[in-house]
Amino acid sequence: MKLYQEKNNYELLEIHPDVAPTEIRHAYKILFDLYQDESIATYSFFSEKERKEILSSLEKAYLTLIDPESRKLYDRDLVGLGGLEEERTYSNHKKNPSSIYDFKKTHVQGLVTIRDPEELKYRASQNPVIQNILDQDTITGRDVKKIRTELKITLEEIAEATKVRIEMLRIIEEDNQELFLPMVYMTGFLKSYVRYLQLDEVVILDGFIKYIDKGK
Amino acid sequence: MSQIWSIGGGKGGTGKSFIAGNLGILLAKEGYKTLLIDVDFGAANLHTIIGISKPERSISDFLNRRLATLDETVLPTPIPNLYLISGAMNNLDIANLTHQQKIKLLRNIARLSYDYILLDIGAGTSFNTIDYFMIADSGIFVTTPEPTSIENVYRFIRSAYFRKIHHVLKAHDFRTLADEAERQNGNATVSNPEILLHVIKELDPEKGDIVEKALRTLDFKLILNQVRKQDNPNIGELICKIIERHLALKMSFIGNLSFDDHVHNSVCKKLPFVDLYPYTRTALDLRECCKNHLSINKDKTSVQQYLTA
Ligand SMILES: Nc1ncnc2c1ncn2[C@@H]1O[C@H](COP(=O)(O)OP(=O)(O)OP(=O)(O)O)[C@@H](O)[C@H]1O
Ligand SMILES: [Mg+2]
Repeated sequence: MKLYQEKNNYELLEIHPDVAPTEIRHAYKILFDLYQDESIATYSFFSEKERKEILSSLEKAYLTLIDPESRKLYDRDLVGLGGLEEERTYSNHKKNPSSIYDFKKTHVQGLVTIRDPEELKYRASQNPVIQNILDQDTITGRDVKKIRTELKITLEEIAEATKVRIEMLRIIEEDNQELFLPMVYMTGFLKSYVRYLQLDEVVILDGFIKYIDKGK
Repeated sequence: MSQIWSIGGGKGGTGKSFIAGNLGILLAKEGYKTLLIDVDFGAANLHTIIGISKPERSISDFLNRRLATLDETVLPTPIPNLYLISGAMNNLDIANLTHQQKIKLLRNIARLSYDYILLDIGAGTSFNTIDYFMIADSGIFVTTPEPTSIENVYRFIRSAYFRKIHHVLKAHDFRTLADEAERQNGNATVSNPEILLHVIKELDPEKGDIVEKALRTLDFKLILNQVRKQDNPNIGELICKIIERHLALKMSFIGNLSFDDHVHNSVCKKLPFVDLYPYTRTALDLRECCKNHLSINKDKTSVQQYLTA
């Protein structure tokens, strides 16, 4: 079971990831009616603030999915977060029914670096710059980037390994929050990133969330 | 073993007793051996709905040991197959049962042998009320399409949610985990009991699993009563949807019962409504609800998880 706040756009709208736009519109309409102000069915269940938040998250989900381009990008991110299997996305479903041989694989074999996790952990533990950052109360995206460069790992490598789009990772690293969407995604991406570097995700996510909270 | 339905909903005067009584009559007419139990001890009146003006014995004779078994308090009714345990108390008996009395009563209800046992639950959301409601295999909420009544249903469900968790975890663990949830989320925990489950699962995955399973056994139903022409007929479905989306509890909509002044007439005449006005819209609605509920609940075998948990 997921908390409501953690649902992805498809779960929010209660639709399958491979549905056509008409179904998205239909689903949104039904839910909009359910949560709108005059709906007696939700009376007292939510505070006004919660209701507004739900309506705006539904709207955001709807707008993201109804536009084919933004839907495609969103699906990619979701695949990267492990929330969706690539074969189940609408664009895949539409265009490539099923290929027996995976010729189109985008990964170039040589690009995938095999990392020894113990070695990474060791290097981080010996690096005073990294240790200092981990001791901080708040941790920014730039701090995370610093850790990465100290470990001499490219952002491309992380993007490749985590399947998170490099633009998303860059937004986090540059602390470019205005450009970015819900906190859950941000922390989701960051989690994959941090895991790949074999760092303590609790420490970093805590620090990062504190940093974001301060900015609000 | 009997299948137990409870009829409740928090708000007073929504039609719980009216519905319990008439569903009982319909079940009896279908040939099911049916027992109505009035557990609204302070304001028992279920007997009147089915046409008994002065019950000669009641549940208090059992609780106060004037009768040795609960079985002995059962009254026949004018309707074949239909039986009643009245909740009427004389003024010397207390309407508020002690914890021991309540447990004893719940145990003994579970041991009775009927096809269906219907519990008419009083208004309010006290622990006792919730416990009577939750002993059932199927908990039917009754609400009217008015904000006040819907509000009370939501309050009742939230209390039931906490009560269930409390029951599974036992008092000490519950307090510890609830405190932690509140520390993390402040007041949000109270309005959003799902958060509590989430915290429990994080702190103690094993217990979290047990609690989640227990919550999944809750099986709520909803009847919308006193629906008038101008009301939105979909409200019931929408309420169920909210409960499923935001509390992840099972809740099925059973149907709408139209508002009808004949109900008032039948109550005043102290005669059962479905007998007196069998061809009104509301009587048809009642039959429809009874049928729906029977089919939704068909594959359920009666398991008193609540008593054995
Ligand atoms: N469908 C209906 N149409 C018209 N009137 C109704 C309907 N259902 C119930 N009523 C009226 O509402 C009154 C209250 O009903 P009832 O006693 O069953 O409510 P209750 O929920 O059991 O109340 P309490 O909480 O006091 O036990 C009845 O006297 C009856 O006149
Ligand atoms: Mg009543």
